[in-house]
Amino acid sequence: MTAPILEMTDVSKRFRTPGGFGRRRHGLLAVDGVSLRVERGEALGLVGESGSGKSTLARMANGLVTPTAGIVRTDGQDVAALGRRGLRRLRRNVAMVFQDPLASLNPRQTVRQTLENVYRAHGETTSTAELVALLESVGLGPDYLGRYPHQASGGQLQRVAVARALALKPDLIIADEPTSALDVSVRAQILNLLADLQRDQGISFLHVSHDLAVIRLYSDRVAVMQRGRIVETGPSEEIFRAPQHPCTQALVEATPEAELPT
Amino acid sequence: MPDPVLQVEDLSISFTTGETTFDVVRDLSVTLDGGRTLAVVGESGSGKTITGRAIMRLLPRGAGARGRIVVAGRDMLAADERELRRARGADVAMVFQDSMSALSPYLDIGAHIAQAVRLHDPSVSRRAARARGVEMLERVGIPEPADAVRRFPHEFSGGMRQRAVIAMALVNRPALLIADEPTTALDVTVQAQILALLRELQQEYGMAMLLISHDFGVVASAADDVLVLYAGREAEYGSLRDVFEAPAHPYTAGLRAATPRLDARLDTGGERTRLRAIPGAPTSLRDAGPGCAFAPRCGLAGQVGERCVVEVPLRSRRTSGTTGGAHRAACHLDRLPSSGEIAR
Repeated sequence: MTAPILEMTDVSKRFRTPGGFGRRRHGLLAVDGVSLRVERGEALGLVGESGSGKSTLARMANGLVTPTAGIVRTDGQDVAALGRRGLRRLRRNVAMVFQDPLASLNPRQTVRQTLENVYRAHGETTSTAELVALLESVGLGPDYLGRYPHQASGGQLQRVAVARALALKPDLIIADEPTSALDVSVRAQILNLLADLQRDQGISFLHVSHDLAVIRLYSDRVAVMQRGRIVETGPSEEIFRAPQHPCTQALVEATPEAELPT
Repeated sequence: MPDPVLQVEDLSISFTTGETTFDVVRDLSVTLDGGRTLAVVGESGSGKTITGRAIMRLLPRGAGARGRIVVAGRDMLAADERELRRARGADVAMVFQDSMSALSPYLDIGAHIAQAVRLHDPSVSRRAARARGVEMLERVGIPEPADAVRRFPHEFSGGMRQRAVIAMALVNRPALLIADEPTTALDVTVQAQILALLRELQQEYGMAMLLISHDFGVVASAADDVLVLYAGREAEYGSLRDVFEAPAHPYTAGLRAATPRLDARLDTGGERTRLRAIPGAPTSLRDAGPGCAFAPRCGLAGQVGERCVVEVPLRSRRTSGTTGGAHRAACHLDRLPSSGEIAR
């Protein structure tokens, strides 16, 4: 029995909020005692409204945010117990793709430099052939190596961001609203690309999104967050066919269908 | 038949930077009656936002519009500044995606609405204008309106702020409301409330609404007619039902196929379905070639042949069985694309 790729046990995060004159410091409990697992090869969809804590939870999974309480394990290892070297290894195994590719890529670096830096940060070297193959795996031609972010479209940049995440062959990719900033006609390309990576390379996904229709189509299991807690979790089809929690029901109910009543 | 509230004829919009002038929108024509909602659907570079601004004559520096835009009987492109001031707010008002940038952080909500009232009717007293503000906030569903008028924009949630902006836009009962992605920044539950509110107010006031959106879900729940733009030109126009159920332009058909649906085909037996993606990325009129701007991404361009890349397709009527209204598409294909052939 292998350990799940990601296992969070009773994890909480309290952010300190600025205390003003005469105001008490309360802190904001963004994540409140959440337990969650992502099995190997699985795509877990995390949905919820803005402020529900889904992005904070995702960031705790790869050590970008340190939990106030609880245990985060990746591949069976306690993240809090990792030293600097261990954290570096963690970040090889757990890669991240963000919402806005233009904001997550350095505008002054070519795609080649961006990708090479990933290898360099982990003390590895790479060859042009390797980089070309990497770009090919996300559907981009070799000519992109010399381009700067402003010379590519949003969809192409998101492919570059996925390539960067793939560079070190991670076991888990955390994708935080990876297609929200993209045009509708391009969105499906990126979603299909991520689904292919899961199927062909066995990469696990934690896919954070506010878009229920996207999550339904591209996740095996779904967790629904509300006010820092997971209120419902289960197989994707079941959750959307028969939502149990009022929060899930409200989300499903409010999602406008791109379909007309017959 | 009363005249339509909005008439756009052969509208072209161009930008001038330095020595060069280029079009971003070309040859748009559309009419819209009171009480009806026209959704303008498009992606980056389609020209949907700039078209909304042209109707208000709120074009950025360096941009110009040609053609004819008539709002409630007034020729907007021929109007002078004084006339425009009279038209904006009273004949045509606008609601934007980002409500924060539509409001001044230094004024309370009541002052925003009172200002809109007194701008168009200086004879209204300050006190009466504030009272109109309370009334309007109540109408758009803001709880405790008498208290809410004294609050500042940052004290409202995104949804409440969008309600306040709608109150401000509608206080003078405009004949036309332009709503540019009014719910894109909101959570789905709040989005549903705002769309319901807009529908309600539209029925009550009989106003026409131009709803600019990229979201087919929003369009399906709010629009009567749909105008699909691609690279600054009309790709397709028709009733919601025609455009959704018998899309005539391969781009529209492709967009429909690329949009995930929540309760569609729930019985996949656990088998995951994939979306059919449109290859490539949207372009703009400036970067488009001499033919159809969509041709490089179109799965059907090969069937039609060379015409697609050398000749701009003209709008032509499409016969449709579902509704009697106009349905037209700008495509060389002389039949409806079938769902199996839209993606390459």
